[in-house]
This record gives sequence, structure tokens and C-alpha cells, in this order.
Amino acid sequence: MTMRSFGWHRAREHLAAGALFAAALLVPLATDNLFLQDATIFILLWAGLAGAWNIAGGFAGQLSLGHAAFFGLGAYTSTLLKIHLGLSPWLGMLCGAGLVVAASGFIAFAATRLRGPYFALVTIAFAAVMQIVAARWYSFTRGNEGLSIPFDPGWANFMFAGKLPWTVIALCYVVAIYALATWIKRSRLGYQLAGMREDDDAAQALGIDTRSLKVLSIAISAFLTALGGTFYAQYVGFVDPTYVFSIDLSVKFALMCIIGGMGTALGPILGAVLITALEMGLRAKWGGGRSGLYLIVYGALLIVVVRVMPEGLVAGLPQTVRRWSARASRAA
Amino acid sequence: MAVLPQLIASAIILGGIYALVSIGLTLVFGVMRIVNFAHGEFLMLAMYLAVGLFATTGIDPYLGLLIAVPASLAFGSVVYFGVIRPVVARPHVVQIFTTLGLSIVLQNAALFLWTGNFRQLRLPYAEKVLSFAGAAVTVPQIVAFTVAAGFTVALFVWLRFTYLGKAMRATAQDRGAATLMGIDTGKVLLAAFLVGTLCVTVAGMLMAPLFATYPTVGLQFVLIAFVVVVLGGLGSAIGALLGGMIVAFIDVGGGYYVGTAWKEALYFVVFIAVLLVRPAGLFGQRGAEHLGA
Repeated sequence: MTMRSFGWHRAREHLAAGALFAAALLVPLATDNLFLQDATIFILLWAGLAGAWNIAGGFAGQLSLGHAAFFGLGAYTSTLLKIHLGLSPWLGMLCGAGLVVAASGFIAFAATRLRGPYFALVTIAFAAVMQIVAARWYSFTRGNEGLSIPFDPGWANFMFAGKLPWTVIALCYVVAIYALATWIKRSRLGYQLAGMREDDDAAQALGIDTRSLKVLSIAISAFLTALGGTFYAQYVGFVDPTYVFSIDLSVKFALMCIIGGMGTALGPILGAVLITALEMGLRAKWGGGRSGLYLIVYGALLIVVVRVMPEGLVAGLPQTVRRWSARASRAA
Repeated sequence: MAVLPQLIASAIILGGIYALVSIGLTLVFGVMRIVNFAHGEFLMLAMYLAVGLFATTGIDPYLGLLIAVPASLAFGSVVYFGVIRPVVARPHVVQIFTTLGLSIVLQNAALFLWTGNFRQLRLPYAEKVLSFAGAAVTVPQIVAFTVAAGFTVALFVWLRFTYLGKAMRATAQDRGAATLMGIDTGKVLLAAFLVGTLCVTVAGMLMAPLFATYPTVGLQFVLIAFVVVVLGGLGSAIGALLGGMIVAFIDVGGGYYVGTAWKEALYFVVFIAVLLVRPAGLFGQRGAEHLGA
């Protein structure tokens, strides 16, 4: 690959991302359709969370299936601080993110001792413990009943009546994560992470401090995930342990990133758009009938996509198109 | 303390059942190095088979094993060739998300076909209680424990002394070296998957009279099975039995002394601790957790 084609490829990625961001911002301005506005905000939120997962899972290769723990801790911290102490959710968000960074140290410790599926299992167990604590510590969290945040719009309360401010905040979140991923990819840190992801032992032999890299990448990833957790709590106005700490949510973050392309800046965004659109489309088509049908299709697609395109859409789609067009021209 | 014998009896019976659920997982995990997230769904399907057989034809789940065993082998082969074999040589990400996808499909297929209602299989003799040494146990519990213990011992002997069993253990230790020694590892992987499916099917049939059946019942037990597998060590039948006992004692003891609300947290904490302190498990081979290739 020549340097020129490499640069062009990157410019194309930025163009695609820019177009998506502009489109997202246009939605609340151009339409009054609440469904569309709501979908846009969720796509942005999921894109940010998939991008946050990407830093640990994609760049550093630490396959976590417990990121819901960070998401839920972020959501609960800001909500509890707001309800019990009346603290502004903006400050609560920072407190939550700080707490989560401390908690991520534990996951990072596990990452330095365990690999592959073993690491994934510890992260699942970690989120499960968080879920049980949130569900059982009734006096503090109101258990499975969940916590409602009283609706009181205003910038200080991180709560808005219209959809535009929500969209702008979510967009800032995604753009910041996109920029961070783009920077990491080109930086010394990015090359070190790629080396560690491909071969941990070889990276160590080359003098890369893989232990610090794991701690750092997991801490950044957890921090960003906690921010998304607070945004979710504020936007939805309700948190409960069954959802915010669920393994389904952890899988969702990872899945969107994998479908889009791990270790790329654009991948998580594409993955979030596709999966959310797919979920909504399937649910609209089959959700009305007996429950479960749309998830059957979703699971089957998951099996097919990871097998056919394990490197994700950003890298895989051009390759697949090239392969098909080559086959077509051979056939002609 | 009159309650102690009862606690011990309950824990031993529960331990046997946990062991049978876990043996299938430990074989697949140990030999194939694939974490089968759909293992719990296999259990769920077997429980539905038992419930369905009893409801439609009145066949006892124990007699139903004669139907369930061939059915599980057929089902296991379809899943192996259709879903598992294509990803055996692929990266962990692909394997994890393939079995997760399978789990989502099976869980929701059950929800679609049989709704989310809880179903309880009530055998006419289920309430019959046998008492000894101050503990009372029901007939289905005794049967479940006896079959589970018998299966575990049989599997241990089989792994230890037959050619296929030895080949399986060799493959679990080092797949590359096993291939070089002339072992047909492709066949060994299929055998491990089928035996794993068979064990979990038997477990499901035995558990149907004891627990309620619903589409996500597998999730609850598969998490326990992961704890057992990690405690006992990969690919070890005896490890699964002892691991199952340990988890069951934590479960029953924790439920009684700490309260049922917190007992789940207790074994997840044990799980995390074991993984961090001794990832090879109590009876596993050291180094087996470095899932090289």
C-alpha cells in the first residue's frame, strides 16, 4: 500500500464520519418526527459507547463483556448523588467517571493475569456482582424498582424539554471519542497497543510496557463508558439494575464495535447505526407478533456476520466488494 | 443443630446436579478451547423436552432419556457442523460471538415457541420423601444425584482409560502436539462436543422435575457452570464434581447463613478470586489457561 492511497483512505473515513455527524445534527432541526429524533439520540449514544469499548476491546485487544458495569456505575453514581445530595448531574457525571476509573483498576489487574475467554469471564462476573449489589442494596438504590430522576429541565440539571440539546451533547460525546480514536491510531500509543493486541509476548520482548498499556486503555475506556451511563440516566430519566448492568448491554457495546470494525475510528459509529437500524426495523416488522422473533433473526445475523466479515465493515466491506467484482469480471 | 444434616444433604444433591451441568462445559472448553455461551440454552431445551414429553404423552423424564439421548446427539451434530466447526480455528472474538449468537437464537426460539411462562413438571411421586440421618430428600432428587454421580464416574473412567478419552485429554493439553502424534483432532473435537451436549441434555432431563422451566433458565445455570468449571479445572471430570460440590455448599450454606439475596454475589466473588489467584483451577493443569492455540 502506498502512502498516498493510505492518506486517501483516511480522508474518505473522515468524510463519511463528517457526513454522519451532519446528518445527525440535521434531524432535530429538519423534522418534528419524535421517533426519528429519539432514534438519532440513541444511535449517537450507542456509537459513543461502542467507541469507548473499542479503546479497550479494539485497540488493546482486551475483550471485555462487562462494560455494563462501568455504564451502570456511571448512571447510578450521578443519579444517587442527584437524588440524595442534590448534586448537579454534570458534577455527578465526573464523580461517576472517577469512581469507574478506580473500579477499572480491578479489571485491568485481571487483564494482566488472564487472556482471551478467561478475561471475558471475569468481566462478566464483575458486572454480575455489580448488578446483584444494585438490586439487593434496597435502602440505597431501591433495588429492582429502580430510581427515577424528577423531570426538571435546565442546563444545570442536565435535562431538556426539546431534543436539540440532547442531540448536541450526544454528538459532542461521539465526536470527542472519534477524535480520540483517530489520534490514538496515529500515535506512538496506537502502535504500541496494536503490537500488544497482535502478540503480547513479542510486544513485551520489544520493551513495551504492556501492563501499563492495559491499565491505561481500560481506564480511558471505562471513563468514557461512565459518561455515557450518566447521559443515559439523564435522558431516559430512570435507571434499574436489570438493564444498566445487564450482559445484553455489555454484548451490545462489543457487538456494534465488532460489526463496524475493531481498532478503527469509524467502525463503532457504523456499527451503532446499523445495529440500531436493524433492531428497529426487525422490531417494527416482527415485533408486533409473538415476542422473540426479531431476536432470532438478530442472533442468526450475528453468527453469519462474525464468520463472513470478522474484521468488520470498515475493512471488510471494500474487500468483499472487490472480491465480488473480481469474481464478476472473471465470470464475464 | 438439627438443620445441619438437611443442609449437607441438600448441598450434596445440588452439587451432583451442578457437576453434571458443568461436565459438558468443561469438556468443550477444555478440549475445544471454545467457551460455549449457548451451553445453558442446551440445558433449557432438554428441560423443555422433558416437560413436553410428560405433558403430551405422559412419558416420565427418566424413561424419556431413551429419546433424549439420540435426540441430543443429532442436535449436537447439527450445531457442531453448522455453527461450531467453521470457527474452531478462528480468533476468540469470532468464537465468543458465534456462541453468543447461538444462545440468543435458541433462547428466543424457546420464547417464541413456548412463551415466557414458567412450567413445572410434577411427577406423581415427586412428593415422596425419604428420610435418613435427620435429612429428608425427594425421589427426583435422589435419582438426579445418583445418575449425575454415575455419569461423572463413568466419564472419568472413560477419559482415563479409553483411547478416545486419552486422545481427548492429549488434545486438551496441546492440540498441535496431539495432531503431530497422529491423533485425529477433528474427530476428537466432534466427540468432545457431542459428549458435552449429551451430558447437559441428561442434566436437563433430570432437572426438569426439580426446577421451573422457562426460556432464560439456562443463563442462571450456565453462570454457575462457569464457576464450577473454573474451580475444578478445564477438562477435568473429577474437578467438575468437586467444583460442583464446593459451589453447592456455598450456595446452600450462603443461602442459609447469609441470606438468599446475597448468595449469588458470593459465588461470583469466589469465581473472580479463583480466576485471579489460580486460573488453572483446583484440579486443572497449570498453564492450561494460557489458551495458546
